[in-house]
Amino acid sequence: MMTFPNVQSASAALFLTFALAGAAPAEHLPEPHGPVILTVEGTIARTNGEGRARLDLQMLRDIGETTITTDTIWTAGTSEFTGVALDDLLDYLGAEGQEIDARAINDYAVTVPIADAVEGGPILAYAMDGKTMSRRDKGPLWLIYPYASSSTYRTEVIYARSIWQLDRMTVLD
Amino acid sequence: MSRRNRFLPGGRAIFFGVALICMVAIGFLAVEIVRDLRLLNSANSDNVQWTLSQAEVEFLEMRHALDTARRQPEPDLDRLIEEFDIFYSRISTLETGALYESLRDLPEFAEPMQRIRRTLDDLVPLIDGPRADLAAGLPRIESAFGQSRADLRELATSGLYHFARQSDFQRISVAVTLMRLGLLTSVLVMVLIFLLRHAQNASRQTERRGHELAAAYTRLNTILDTSLDAVLVADLSGDIQQFNPAAERIFKYDAQQVVGRNIGGLIVPDHLRDAHEAGMARMRAGGERRVVGRGRVRLDAMRSTGEVFPAELALETAQTGSEEIIVGFLRDISHRISSENELVEARDKALAGEKAKADFLAMMTHEIRTPLNGVLGNLSLLEETDLTPAQARYVHNMAVSGKLLMSHVDAVLDIARFESGATALRAEVVDPGRLVQDIIDSQTSAAEANGNTLDWAWTGAPADWIRVDASRLQQVLVNLIGNAIKFTRDGHVQVEIEQGDPLDQPGAEAGLWLEIRIIDTGIGIAEADLDRVFEDFQTSGCTQDKGLPGTGLGLGIARRFVRAMQGEIGAESTLGEGSVFWLRLPVRAARAPHNADRTGTGCAPAGPCSILLVEDNEINLELARDMLSLMGHDVSIARNGQEAVVAAGARCFDLILMDIRMPVMDGLAATRAIRDGQGPNRDAPIVALSANVLPEAKDRFIAGGMSDFLGKPLMKKELAQVIARFCSDAALAEGAPRDPAVDDPLAALKARYLDETCALFDWLATMPDDWSEIADRAHRIAGSAAAFGQADLRMALLSVETTAEAEDAAALAQAVSQARRAWETAPDPSVA
Repeated sequence: MMTFPNVQSASAALFLTFALAGAAPAEHLPEPHGPVILTVEGTIARTNGEGRARLDLQMLRDIGETTITTDTIWTAGTSEFTGVALDDLLDYLGAEGQEIDARAINDYAVTVPIADAVEGGPILAYAMDGKTMSRRDKGPLWLIYPYASSSTYRTEVIYARSIWQLDRMTVLD
Repeated sequence: MSRRNRFLPGGRAIFFGVALICMVAIGFLAVEIVRDLRLLNSANSDNVQWTLSQAEVEFLEMRHALDTARRQPEPDLDRLIEEFDIFYSRISTLETGALYESLRDLPEFAEPMQRIRRTLDDLVPLIDGPRADLAAGLPRIESAFGQSRADLRELATSGLYHFARQSDFQRISVAVTLMRLGLLTSVLVMVLIFLLRHAQNASRQTERRGHELAAAYTRLNTILDTSLDAVLVADLSGDIQQFNPAAERIFKYDAQQVVGRNIGGLIVPDHLRDAHEAGMARMRAGGERRVVGRGRVRLDAMRSTGEVFPAELALETAQTGSEEIIVGFLRDISHRISSENELVEARDKALAGEKAKADFLAMMTHEIRTPLNGVLGNLSLLEETDLTPAQARYVHNMAVSGKLLMSHVDAVLDIARFESGATALRAEVVDPGRLVQDIIDSQTSAAEANGNTLDWAWTGAPADWIRVDASRLQQVLVNLIGNAIKFTRDGHVQVEIEQGDPLDQPGAEAGLWLEIRIIDTGIGIAEADLDRVFEDFQTSGCTQDKGLPGTGLGLGIARRFVRAMQGEIGAESTLGEGSVFWLRLPVRAARAPHNADRTGTGCAPAGPCSILLVEDNEINLELARDMLSLMGHDVSIARNGQEAVVAAGARCFDLILMDIRMPVMDGLAATRAIRDGQGPNRDAPIVALSANVLPEAKDRFIAGGMSDFLGKPLMKKELAQVIARFCSDAALAEGAPRDPAVDDPLAALKARYLDETCALFDWLATMPDDWSEIADRAHRIAGSAAAFGQADLRMALLSVETTAEAEDAAALAQAVSQARRAWETAPDPSVA
């Protein structure tokens, strides 16, 4: 059913460590070059202007890739989701807080506890089965939990938190 | 074992069955609950209704963006595209999401979905195309969505309806599961209650059994503690497990001291230890058990002090669990054994005393009767000599006194014999009429002396031969008739005899009885005295009795004899008018004996007979020979059995009178030799002469082949009766001439006695070593000494005889010297 998300996540984390080792610790994020697909606000350490972190796809890819293979109740069959792990992202941004207010393009809003952001936990998927997800396919970002790995991820609450067409996040204390 | 087996099919099986059912039920419930929980836990539905209505909302958002775009001169196409994408995404979700798979099977859902899809797909090129085209195509988009509003509504309502129904099903399913859960829970609770009850019962039973066990244990302990017997429990190797207080007392050990130690070294005495070890080894090997299970066994045991005592032991084995134990019950019987020994000793002493008494009686018989024999015999002879009237009177008085003395001795002897149980009944066949006639005949002169008439008669039909102890009956009748004569003066004594059957059943032999009544017209007996007359030593206080007083034993003996014959005796009397003494005996009818007619009337003098007289004592020999000669018989003499056998082989005798105790060959041996030989006297009557008048002696003589018995001293009348009985029809024609005795036979006898006695002492002085000759000669002289009134000498010589027989030289020497002293100090030999 699933293909060792933990191992892949671990190797991604390793890669990240090396990547960041070269760069001097910077409070400021680089400016995005492509269209901004995610804006993060709230108690975060790193921003790129106006207290916000504006991120394009490439920036997200640079943080590190994590893959989850699982079925979902919204799709047919098993799919491979590729994205950035939520905890990696929060680490990257130096986020300090209790929960995240996540919103979609259609203004669907959910609250995700920071506690969910663990290794082997949810990712912000930008590709499904190797294809970048468009807005019509629940893109650009979809919060995917590893549903197949545990029944604790197959609850109404988790399903409700699995927000798609995500484009804004606010980290709250 | 059996207890456990009994449990398994019942309680335990139910217990296990119930437990199994419970486990299955619980397993079933667990599966059910897990399944339901999984259904409830893994929410496979997002908020479907919300999604469906969200589709409508997003459609309307898109329509709104479209309307806004159409109304604006510079339409915001980006917003329209975004709303289109969102709606498109929503429809894609409904189209592909696993959650909506069941919905997609519904035609009322699938058909509008397809129409919307087609519309969207038709519009995608326009949306994704150049903005100018899109702006121009806005009316077309609006018309394309004209139908979609209705389709979307249909989609939503059908979806809502479907999920509502699904929700109902789920509710029902949950309700059913819950109901099942409830049901199973109830069953489970019931089972649990049942199990609880069962467990309670089991526990109560266990508790009760525990109490019972405790009670039984207490009871057993009490029994063990209070047992008077020692109780020991040991295992098969002999190690003591239990030792009760009685065992502590008997063996003088403390229980704590001995428990765990081996029984062999503690209580088995040394001489039994090897046997004990062998027995234990044999038992362990499963071999023969010689003591275990054999009841009481007598053996010795040992106390802690080392004292060995007799004990009674019973051993049993018992199975306790897997182990076999030995239980021993032991009783200290040392007290019992010692009392038993004392009893045995006491009994032996008593028996010895009885024996001594019997011996004394026999001795007295001999001791008193032998000299009396001499006295009376010589008086008989003296009466035959010429006497002055005065002398004749003195002799007569002496004879009366002597006879009275003899009768007293006989009476005492009778009682003593009776009391010692020596009187066996001897049934003889007699004619009662003749028996009475004989007595009447013998008493007639006495009756006449008192001026009385004496006669007898049958009352009723005279009886024939009967079987009865004739000599006893005779003795009783003599006594009663003698009394009647004694207490009657110038009167009449009548004897009535009657035989009958109390039930008047002729032929019923067993019921026959004989009644004899002696009726006198004498002085009578006061009524107050009537009850005592049969008691011992009751003499009549009557002063009219001019005769010599009796011993007072006569009626006592009579009553004893009658009772011994199962009869009754009684008396009725009126003072001054007379008395009736009656006796009634059960008798048995008998056939007449062959020689019935030979039973003489007693006193009829027989014709001259040839008689062989065998007697070792010279005095007695002379007395008897003179008596017989005076009766006119032909007398031959033999001085011992050997001589008698020789004499009997030489010629035929009508009668042989045989002394029993004689030297060389005794009377019994001689009788046997004569009877067994081919001589002419093989069938001749042989009558024993003995001072031993005890009945067993008589029986012995009869058994030894002798025809009859005559007690010593010889009485002329008895001698005449015997001769009459055996020689009456053998009367010899040639009456032997009267053998003239020496002129003064007594003087000659005395001289001879003195010579023989002197010769004996001279011979004894030579220290002879022939024991039996010493005994014989001493015996012979002792017999003569008695006759000559030298009782001390006689006693001394008898002890010489005894010690010689015992072959005790030292005692013999002493006895001889005593005898010599007695001889030297003895009075002059004199006969009566």
